[in-house]
Amino acid sequence: MQAEPSMQELRELVAEFLPNRGHVMPALHKVQDRYGYVPRVAMDVIARQLSTTPALIYGAATFYTDFRLHPRPETEISWCSGPACRLKGGDRIREAIQATLEVPLGGESDDGRYGLHIGQCNGTCTESPQVWVNEKVVGNLTVSKAIRLARDIKGESE
Amino acid sequence: MNARLQSMIDDAKRAWTEQRSSGREQVTVSIDTSSLARGADETLAAIRAQAAAMNLKVDVGITGTWGMNWLEPTVTVRSAAGTRTVLYGNVTADRVPEFLQAVVVEGRDLPELAIGVVEGNATAEVPLLSDHPFMRGQVRRLMANMGTIDPESIDHYLAHDGYAGFGKALDMDAEAIVKHMLDSGLGGRAGGGFPAGRKWDFLRTATADPRYLVCNADEGDPGAWVNRVVMEADPHLVVEGMMIAARAGHAREGYIYIRYEYPLAIARMQKAIDDAYARGLLGKDILGTGWDFDLIVHRGAGAYVCGEETGLINSIDGYRGMPRIKPPFPAQAGLWNKPTNVNNVESYANAPMIMRNGAEWWANVSNEKEKGTKMFTFSGHVNWPGCVEVPFGPTIRQCLEQWAGGMLNGKKCKGFQPGGPLSGVVTANLDLTLTLDPYRGMGMFLGGGGIVFFDESTCILDMCKYFLGFCEDESCGRCTTCHGGTQRAVEIIRRIQQGGGRESDILNLEKLVTSLVWSNCFHGQFAMTSIKTALKAFPSEWDEHIIEKRCRAAVCDGLIDYSVRAQGEGIDEAAEICPTNAFYKEAGGWQIDDGLCIRCGACKELAPSSIEIRDRFARIPAGAAAAGG
Repeated sequence: MQAEPSMQELRELVAEFLPNRGHVMPALHKVQDRYGYVPRVAMDVIARQLSTTPALIYGAATFYTDFRLHPRPETEISWCSGPACRLKGGDRIREAIQATLEVPLGGESDDGRYGLHIGQCNGTCTESPQVWVNEKVVGNLTVSKAIRLARDIKGESE
Repeated sequence: MNARLQSMIDDAKRAWTEQRSSGREQVTVSIDTSSLARGADETLAAIRAQAAAMNLKVDVGITGTWGMNWLEPTVTVRSAAGTRTVLYGNVTADRVPEFLQAVVVEGRDLPELAIGVVEGNATAEVPLLSDHPFMRGQVRRLMANMGTIDPESIDHYLAHDGYAGFGKALDMDAEAIVKHMLDSGLGGRAGGGFPAGRKWDFLRTATADPRYLVCNADEGDPGAWVNRVVMEADPHLVVEGMMIAARAGHAREGYIYIRYEYPLAIARMQKAIDDAYARGLLGKDILGTGWDFDLIVHRGAGAYVCGEETGLINSIDGYRGMPRIKPPFPAQAGLWNKPTNVNNVESYANAPMIMRNGAEWWANVSNEKEKGTKMFTFSGHVNWPGCVEVPFGPTIRQCLEQWAGGMLNGKKCKGFQPGGPLSGVVTANLDLTLTLDPYRGMGMFLGGGGIVFFDESTCILDMCKYFLGFCEDESCGRCTTCHGGTQRAVEIIRRIQQGGGRESDILNLEKLVTSLVWSNCFHGQFAMTSIKTALKAFPSEWDEHIIEKRCRAAVCDGLIDYSVRAQGEGIDEAAEICPTNAFYKEAGGWQIDDGLCIRCGACKELAPSSIEIRDRFARIPAGAAAAGG
């Protein structure tokens, strides 16, 4: 896990953004693209840069599911919540992965090495039911295949 | 036509012709999110490596999708003489050596992978692509370039009359452009069907400045990827459409709000915009006309409700993406409380077609009420998940049986969802047409184009819980009717699924249906549509769950249990796979501890004949059930 970035570093990173120009999300994205998540201190820096309050930045950052306030786990399973996957047993796959990894949807292991995240349908429904492992599609799953996948991920980090 | 634009188009056409007559085979791989999921990047790399290793003189390129997602990766091969082009499917990386050997070295077709002949004559083994059932009946306008041009090349777009529609708009005044749009009858393509020309006219006649354009590319409906296809396969269509709208509405700045889940669409739109700036089509003093227009890609961050136009505007403004209270409408007070026009990707993408070819040509397909073509994606229990562009009006039967390739494993269609989690569910009435009216009559709507078919293995309550759970998750939290109502509905369905259904539940759900319509925005107003329509369409299934405590699809957790029927084949593997260790040995045989079982069904996959799913309540003696009330 990387150390929290310094204020100075963050200030330079978001220096291009201006108040009242719709730059809240671009600034949050830029921070997340760099560090993998939005550190708490970055919200203060962005607020100052955009002449607004940290509360407003925090409000926006927590409203959207894809802004993360903590570093992402080393291996992340994103479970596709779309209808095509759901119709082909996606929900049972989710329950089995949760039981195998012993983490809830949106949770991660205590050591931060693997986690389970909700993913949204992006139209690769030919592969349904599917998950993404670190953004790579693993498709045409069955419940037992999903359990083996989760066991592999868990086993590697034990 | 603007002279600079004309010479740009002429140059691009010349370059295109030269490239096409290079005297080399042209091998083109479809690269989009759907094909990448099936390994198209590996196919492309393998083709490049193999061509180099075999010292082949071929032009290798990329293109957008043909819409045949189930056959990805797809590759087109154009002969060196330029007389014959064949489309191939399922060209995975491991088949590339034999593929190149046949189609390039030996110069013959490879019938086992061939889908159809795009250019040239059919043979006994490879029919014409236009005769493929998936292609028959389609009218490809927005998709005309897809499969042909490189979406990352502005020259390819220009060579296919790209920006010619904008060129016409440059010679017209704003009122004439709006009239063109009104004459065409283009309706909003996200499901509302509101005339785009009227919206543009609101912006044109607005009194405040500056004015803004917004393109809603936050295609959040799960099961729909129409906008993604347009942005990934022909992004300049959207740029040109927004430039025409900007001319009509006197806008100086436009935003394309693309959802986070579409990284390739974001990259390709950004590339298209950067290229347009480099050619002087965007920015200051466009093509020497003195007119300025800026276009900005705004990346979303995962919020379905930002697909609602005022939520989207709040999101760009930098607030939480909570829909505003209307009025004022965006046309009066949108971005930074200035007049703003919001259209969907497909709506903007149609504008260049209308300007290039005229409103009359554009409106010559479909029917009296709906004009032009509409793109749809099909998914769920179908053989061919894919994307089509068709006129309004074909029957659902044609969609399912012809374009979607029929139901998976030949099962019976139980019903379908016409467009997103807010649109409701319909029974398998396959005679319904793809037009807006029949769905409106049923209190639902034909949404952005994502149609999901489901078969008899689907439990309708589970579907409803899925849709309501989605609406609950994605509610912005403003209206109690919405965030509290969806939560309550999910709780009720969950209780029914656990075996605790009460007869009053139907009444309570109906009460929720009538109270959620008082929510502020579309999200809350339509959140209960799936339950409302499912109660009407599948009444007996609700009764079964609530009164008989039985789930015919064997899906609902509390109404079924798993048990070991025989210590037969696969039973040891089944015991081993169980994620909760619910299997235990008793008298030398495996048994399942019902308290630990989470009904994931993994054991049944591995030992289908040894494990059985039983009706849980059927085993309770009838008298006891009656006594219990």
